[in-house]
Amino acid sequence: MTGVARTLARRAERRPSPARLAGAAVLGAWAGLFWWLLASGRDALYLSERTRWVVPVGASLLSLAALGRFATSRTTRPEAIGRREAWIMGAVVAPVVLLASLPPATLGQFSAGTRSSVASAGVLGSREMGSGALTLVDVAAAQTTPEGERALAARAGETVDLVGFVVRYPDTPADELLLTRYVVTCCVADATIAQVRVVNVTPGRFRPNDWVRVVGTIYPIGREVIVDARSVEPVERPDRPYLTP
Amino acid sequence: MRAAEEIRVPSLPARAPRAATGRTALAVLACLAGLVVLVRLGQPQRLAWAQAAFIIFGSILIQALPFVVIGATTSALIEVLVPLGTLERLARLPRPLRLPAAALAGVAMPICECGSVPVARRLVAKGLPPSAAIAFMLAAPVVNPVVIASTAVAYRGRDVLWLIVGGRFLLGALVAIAVGWTAGAAAPESLLRPSPVGDHEAVELGRPEPRWRRFFLHLGGDFLFMGRYLVLGATLAALVQTFLPASWVSRLASTPVLGIAAMMVLAALLSLCSESDAFVAASFTPFGPAAQLAFLVFGPMVDLKLTALYAGTFRSDLARTIVIAAFAATLVAAMWVQVATG
Repeated sequence: MTGVARTLARRAERRPSPARLAGAAVLGAWAGLFWWLLASGRDALYLSERTRWVVPVGASLLSLAALGRFATSRTTRPEAIGRREAWIMGAVVAPVVLLASLPPATLGQFSAGTRSSVASAGVLGSREMGSGALTLVDVAAAQTTPEGERALAARAGETVDLVGFVVRYPDTPADELLLTRYVVTCCVADATIAQVRVVNVTPGRFRPNDWVRVVGTIYPIGREVIVDARSVEPVERPDRPYLTP
Repeated sequence: MRAAEEIRVPSLPARAPRAATGRTALAVLACLAGLVVLVRLGQPQRLAWAQAAFIIFGSILIQALPFVVIGATTSALIEVLVPLGTLERLARLPRPLRLPAAALAGVAMPICECGSVPVARRLVAKGLPPSAAIAFMLAAPVVNPVVIASTAVAYRGRDVLWLIVGGRFLLGALVAIAVGWTAGAAAPESLLRPSPVGDHEAVELGRPEPRWRRFFLHLGGDFLFMGRYLVLGATLAALVQTFLPASWVSRLASTPVLGIAAMMVLAALLSLCSESDAFVAASFTPFGPAAQLAFLVFGPMVDLKLTALYAGTFRSDLARTIVIAAFAATLVAAMWVQVATG
């Protein structure tokens, strides 16, 4: 028998393996989720700008793995899939189903109480504040060092224009709110909070987790930063709701 | 036949499992469909805690899975490209050199902890002494340049910058060596848990399959094997992150030994990626540098998702040894730093 004939004979002996096909389906499901996250922009709800690259890399590698698994699914020893294994594969696919079914959402007020603040984390380090418009990242970064606090204090009385979501606790005065953003270094699991106190807000107008744009005058007082609001308007949640240090 | 020998040793299941029927497949699919209906109609995300848990769960998986695939790819490449016996040369090194060499090899592996587990498993299967593979697995996520650079960024501008950066590298390598030494020189067959998927599929009727087929079989097999434990670990970590306020741990800050132990337990519970954990460690300012170092060294070696991965990869005795030895070695090292730095 020639080499070609032997190869053809071996190919003819091969039959689809249920276990390999099931594995290819699991890999394909995860690859599909990563491509969908990339196409829909939903990766921004889970990762920081800095680590977004893992999504296309994951999507590509998982697709390659799924295709490779599928291409090798025919074998001379087709393995049946065990019952326990079938349920485990279902469990591995369950997060794909869950994440694809959930409506888009971000961390809100609930987690603000369990997270460290940027001011204590030093996530932002000693950024150059410069003389441009102050952002919530600048304000949060300034609270991390005495030099930053002094630089921010020098800009007391300036107008700021900040976007964030509303956090209110039972003891928050009716005409105040805590304007908050999460700062995410890699993924949401490492989120820390950047927060300023906004005063002169119309009582009862905004509820926790509402996204708002605050224009007002900034008054850094020690480690606390107060914004005296001239206007507080509702806005849509930004495409990238988490700040990147 | 060499290929067959390479992969059979650690991988054959102990007994044939009961085969799934069409009814089993339908039941699994029905459960997945039920999950969609539950989420769409029940809207569990309306509960603030459930929404937070889902987001954290998703973020841990989405960030970690690509690293698991990278690890599985590396592992599959080792399987098909590295001939059996190559790593045995390392085994012939004197033991005092072998473990440090393995730990420092982690410098060349800039991936997170999830990726180093499948690589270590494959290295053991390919003949690397388990103690060296464990030293490599534990050291790589701590000493690699990306992690050291992110630690430097997190602590820049602080007096303890070099103590933390240098301490993380040194203690990470030392603890990994100590744990590897504790794991001893047992045979690989007695250390690795049999894989229910993948490895043994690479041989057809005694004939080795082409290299590309073996690569994809091992890649898929490793991913499916590790993926289940990652899902379990991410679930536990998300629940802990949702309900455990960081402020609770801060109450122990002023207690010397308890403060260090508390930070180690916190690191294990939070299950952060080693490339970002320094930013969280830096936020625990009430704790001294020794406790923060303990957080940075222990977290990438033992956490909820890693414990699940270890439990699936290694025999329970070895998984337990890794956890206990890493805890003890990190605690002792951090206490020494505490004494040395006053």
